[in-house]
Amino acid sequence: MTSEAKTHAIDISAMQRDNRILRLEDETCTLQVKDLRLSYGEKEALHGIDMTIPKNRVTAFIGPSGCGKSTLLRCFNRMNDLVDSCNITGQILMDDQNIYDRSVDVAELRRRVGMVFQKPNPFPKSIYENVAYGLRIQGIKKKRVIDDTVEWALRSAALWDEVKDRLHESALGMSGGQQQRLVIARTIAVKPEVLLLDEPASALDPISTLKIEELIHELKKDFTIVIVTHNMQQAARVSDYTAFMYMGDLIEFGVTDTLFTNPSKKQTEDYITGRYG
Amino acid sequence: MKVSLKEWTKSGEPWVWLNAGAVAICMIMVVGLLSLIAVRGLGHFWPANVYQADYVENGNSLRLAGELVDSEDVPADQLRDSGVAVPEGVEFMQRDLLKIGNRDVGGSDFIWVLDDFLENRSNPEMLFAAERREWGNFYGYLRSLKENGQVVASYDGYEKNAEYMQLWNKFEASIERALDLHEEIAEIEKHEIGAINHELERLRLKERALQLKEVTDQSRYAEIDQRRKELDAEYEVLQKNLLDLYTQFNRDSFTAETAGGQTIEVDISKVVRAFLPNNMSITEKVLHYFSKIWEFLSEDPREANTEGGIFPAIFGTVMMVILMSVMVTPFGVVAAVYLREYAKQGFVTRLIRIAVNNLAGVPSIVYGVFGLGFFVYFLGGHIDDAFFPEAKPAPTFGTPGLMWASLTLALLTVPVVIVATEEGLSRIPRAVREGSLALGATKAETLWKVVLPMASPAMMTGVILAIARAAGEVAPLMLVGVVKLAPSLPLDGNYPYLHLDQKFMHLGFHIYDVGFQSPNVEAARPLVYATALLLVIVIALLNMSAIAIRNHLREKYKALEM
Repeated sequence: MTSEAKTHAIDISAMQRDNRILRLEDETCTLQVKDLRLSYGEKEALHGIDMTIPKNRVTAFIGPSGCGKSTLLRCFNRMNDLVDSCNITGQILMDDQNIYDRSVDVAELRRRVGMVFQKPNPFPKSIYENVAYGLRIQGIKKKRVIDDTVEWALRSAALWDEVKDRLHESALGMSGGQQQRLVIARTIAVKPEVLLLDEPASALDPISTLKIEELIHELKKDFTIVIVTHNMQQAARVSDYTAFMYMGDLIEFGVTDTLFTNPSKKQTEDYITGRYG
Repeated sequence: MKVSLKEWTKSGEPWVWLNAGAVAICMIMVVGLLSLIAVRGLGHFWPANVYQADYVENGNSLRLAGELVDSEDVPADQLRDSGVAVPEGVEFMQRDLLKIGNRDVGGSDFIWVLDDFLENRSNPEMLFAAERREWGNFYGYLRSLKENGQVVASYDGYEKNAEYMQLWNKFEASIERALDLHEEIAEIEKHEIGAINHELERLRLKERALQLKEVTDQSRYAEIDQRRKELDAEYEVLQKNLLDLYTQFNRDSFTAETAGGQTIEVDISKVVRAFLPNNMSITEKVLHYFSKIWEFLSEDPREANTEGGIFPAIFGTVMMVILMSVMVTPFGVVAAVYLREYAKQGFVTRLIRIAVNNLAGVPSIVYGVFGLGFFVYFLGGHIDDAFFPEAKPAPTFGTPGLMWASLTLALLTVPVVIVATEEGLSRIPRAVREGSLALGATKAETLWKVVLPMASPAMMTGVILAIARAAGEVAPLMLVGVVKLAPSLPLDGNYPYLHLDQKFMHLGFHIYDVGFQSPNVEAARPLVYATALLLVIVIALLNMSAIAIRNHLREKYKALEM
């Protein structure tokens, strides 16, 4: 454990060194949000958001409860469609196509934009079947391909060594942290381009949280990651860019280091110094 | 220490007592019910001692032999009024119900006698009881055994000795032989000739169908004729065989003397089993008891359902319940999935839910009437018109039968399955559905691969409730397919093996029939209890297997700890 913790510390310092040269202008854009407004019935929850999500970076959304950060996250893979009273205007562009366009296949969009939820939600199936689920949905039948992908996904989620001997046991017998990493493995198994993490560590103990954070750092090589967190230290540790949201507005968005050390808005400063939240 | 009433009430203790009391009363009633039917029903099979006595009334003496079945106290005044000479100073007298058998001699199986008027009671070891295929039990003294009308052994006394035992052994051997022959005959009649008749009927229908379609190709008619000739030839052989067997079967007979002194002659072929009730050890009695229970469970009924077994009724009940479950489960699940997952929640869905719940409360006989009117006459009639025109005017599906009975009960129980499944679907955590959707699964894929498997224990709960309700239902079945006596089982070796159009027997209806429609009330009464016990056991077994499946599913898909 100690050796792992040490690696982790080195990772963070390396990360922080990288951050110094980060500039939003230099990044390739994966998702572009244009004047996104969302309302539940009469109540507007997002009042015109404009932002870009940079490719192969970790973008964190922070803000007090009810500020709309999770709602915004769920817009990226159209999870809000499931809510009957939800009404959305504006655009989210992915590869220059509005994901809210009528011609978009929602299932395909969700495969490209994977999501991990606050509480681990493995299916009541075996560990193997959990990871293979998305592949089977895509119609992949070759056992060899599925076997290889399952192993790759579990290795990427740093779970392989723990579960390789009990792949066919129920996923519900795992610990909470393992379940959450299994859910991440399940999500990356379908090779999405973007990974949405909705407070992925909030239901976990500190050690599991640490593992998830390490994992996020590993995964950003291959995926664009957007993470919602109410834990500012976590945002500071794992993200390259941070967006601060308040009452349905995007207040400030920028390089994590800058935002935490030298916020340009008063509200941001108040929040990160703990004046409210 | 004194506790005030107010404090005692406040402590909640009266509630505990009240609740515990209610539970206790329920338990006592259930246990009482089960023990009553168990004792009354299972006691029937015990080979009780048969005693002989002289019934002396007003100087007239009558010798009786029989089993004591029941006894009760009657007020002496009532007896005096009816002209019985009751001694002074007696208030109650004991009255016994004796099973004296010999219906062919005395006219009735059972007789009420006053216990005080019975004299010279004894348990003669030589007295034997014979269960017969006709006329019920016989009690009396074996006198002789005949083969082809020639006496081969006889005995005249009233004491059991070696000579009597020699006669008895020959008698038993003769019964054994007759039973073997009977089995052989039944095999030929039921299976071999049954199969030929079945095929002949199918040929007749095939020919008729060809005629109806105005097929002129004579070779096809010739084919049918050819096959029919073959079958006829087979039938001839079997018939001859059967005739031989019957001649052998009817070879032996026995004469016996009743307690009253009459001598009768009975064919051995009519005897099912004979025993010496007063000369049996306890082991023999226990063996006899279990063989009687086995007969009850495995044999066809005899003598207007008052003797023999009830296997066809058990089979019919189980068959119907299984078919009903197979029909109701997909119906109910699909309806529930639509209502819960696809339909827009609003006024209409609320209305439908209320309607579904109310359907569960409609009296079952109403379903029976609907089943008869819609399923049997309308649907069945149209099926006959469309698919079985060759059998007309005889109906195939246009008459009550197993399929319509199962379908009617499926309709009766579908609300239960819908409600239980909806309940189950609503309990699947949203997170699991979202997890599946987030992986690129469509709503239908999510439903089939994740939600429905997880809701399967709830569906099984619905099926369990449906089984519990359907297995005990009798009223609608009387309209849509149950009969007093079905000649064959709905599942057999003749194509198409499962005969959904056939009428069938059912334990619940059997209870009603034996209990209320039987010509021989006293003989039928214990069977009512025995059948009731069996019905309870069958339902319990069906339910327990469903519960076992549910528990297995629950274990597999146990809800996430959220």
